[in-house]
Amino acid sequence: MTKIYLRLWQMNWAVQWQYRANLMMYLLYGLVSPVVFLSVWRSVAASQGEVSGLTVNDFTTYYLTLLIVDKLTSEVTIHLLAHKVYDGTLSNELLLPIHPVLTHTLVNNLAFKALTFIVLVPIWVMLYLLFRPDFTGVTAVTLLLAVPAVIFGFVINFLLGAVITCFAFWTTRIYAMSEFMYGFLILLGGTFVPLDLLPEFAQRIAQLLPFQLFLYFPIQLVLGRLAFNEILINFALQGVWFVLLALAFVWIWRAGVKRFSAVGA
Amino acid sequence: MKTGEQDPVIVDCLSKVYRVAEREGGFKAAVRSFFKRKYLDVKAVHEVSFRISAGEVVGFLGPNGAGKTTTLKMLAGLLHPTSGSAQVLGFKPWERSPAFLRQMSLVMGQRNRLAWDLPAADSFLLNQAVYRLSEAEFHSTLKELDELLDLSPIMRKPVRNLSLGERMKCELAAALLHRPRVLFLDEPTIGLDISAQARIRAFLREYNHRTGATILLTSHYMADVTALCERILIIHHGELKYDGDLSGLSRRIAPYKIIGVDLMNDVRADLNLYGTPVQSADGNGKHRIQVKAGEVAQITARILAELPVLDLTIEDPPIEDVIERAFQE
Repeated sequence: MTKIYLRLWQMNWAVQWQYRANLMMYLLYGLVSPVVFLSVWRSVAASQGEVSGLTVNDFTTYYLTLLIVDKLTSEVTIHLLAHKVYDGTLSNELLLPIHPVLTHTLVNNLAFKALTFIVLVPIWVMLYLLFRPDFTGVTAVTLLLAVPAVIFGFVINFLLGAVITCFAFWTTRIYAMSEFMYGFLILLGGTFVPLDLLPEFAQRIAQLLPFQLFLYFPIQLVLGRLAFNEILINFALQGVWFVLLALAFVWIWRAGVKRFSAVGA
Repeated sequence: MKTGEQDPVIVDCLSKVYRVAEREGGFKAAVRSFFKRKYLDVKAVHEVSFRISAGEVVGFLGPNGAGKTTTLKMLAGLLHPTSGSAQVLGFKPWERSPAFLRQMSLVMGQRNRLAWDLPAADSFLLNQAVYRLSEAEFHSTLKELDELLDLSPIMRKPVRNLSLGERMKCELAAALLHRPRVLFLDEPTIGLDISAQARIRAFLREYNHRTGATILLTSHYMADVTALCERILIIHHGELKYDGDLSGLSRRIAPYKIIGVDLMNDVRADLNLYGTPVQSADGNGKHRIQVKAGEVAQITARILAELPVLDLTIEDPPIEDVIERAFQE
């Protein structure tokens, strides 16, 4: 099994590298929103002194951390898998004795992530030097705890993306569905605004949804802004959502493949 | 082949019905279909039954839309049938068990399975890992395939830089690295030039001899079928119309022969008296007439006696005609 992943990694890396110019574009595109939000909140906080207890530095550290956490937990499955369902090329992967999503799609995601992360680093360093944030909340402990939080965060996000993409077996409107969900994700995950600034009822909804488990939670964890019990609860929530989404994925994938009409004779 | 071993392919009353949304063109119809959808049941495959023994090479013929590819995809496990059953190597294909997938292969002509931006060699290595082939197995099979298909000059170039013929060879190689016991081929020579087609056919023949793999192939090209298949299945409108050998089909569908008569000295003769003209006579006195198989000797004798014949040939009907007639039944 490891051999399969190693080969896939080597192949995906080689292909991504060939398309590195494209990847640069995706990365820069992905940077726009957080940098914009950062600038806006900074100016709001600067003019008011603080916003709901969050200072300019709080916003700066939040968004700089978001850039990294988001890059590490994001997934692009819909762009990899949906078209294969629609044009029938999924057949090629279904003929192999391995699970297409847990191998091809997963490794493709990871290779894309690795390459864009490498390019992110120097850009991040530049932003750091530009904004000079104060990262005093970050300790060795928080960084260590952030590792499993980020890994599980990615796994949950990946499964969520895979489940959503599976709706492509039933509808052609999958990209619209995905965009719709993305809107909820950036609001209730903590990208648009740190969740502390949302009204109470919205915060409660956000806590019930998985989005904050791969954005807001790891970010606040690294920055040392979570109490011990909050950390435990969120790890537990990650566990729960992992099980739920894993079961949902297994079920919807099986149902979807059965329905797959392998078009493109 | 062990005695008592089951036939590798057993198909029993296999059917596939598609529900297709249907509407007319135009804006009004599009809006109407938003509220009320009309569906049509398309019987792509209807109660098809056949068995294939180990080592057979069987051709699957039919016009476009007949159901060949649909049947093949069900046998490869890509489609779930609506009803009926099929067993390949003892497995239900659509359950897609890894044990099943490791012993079979499906190659679709003009379909790309190899990584587009990388050399075929990389895709071969991936298949080695996927099919869990040992170094020894992998290298010996690859060497054999290289011998038969001449892969060395092309397997290290990115697949996107290969011609269609070269790509097809690599696709075949990738599909055969794990030495499948059953091989399904969907239009393997489509789009290839004549020499490339001949090479692929020669390869498949040789592969079947060397490994005893059971092969089921669909094709539009008669040459594929006549070169490779002892047995053909004809499918039309989703139903199996014929299952047997090619000459048997000729005898059943078109028990006639073509007599070609070349007359001396621009003599004009009315060959309608002897048989049905197949081609209009050209100025040089060459004629072709269709004659019932049983009457060939008699009519040939009459022609030779009554006309100044320079040359006379007796031919079987072209396979294409035979198949076309079979389709029209």
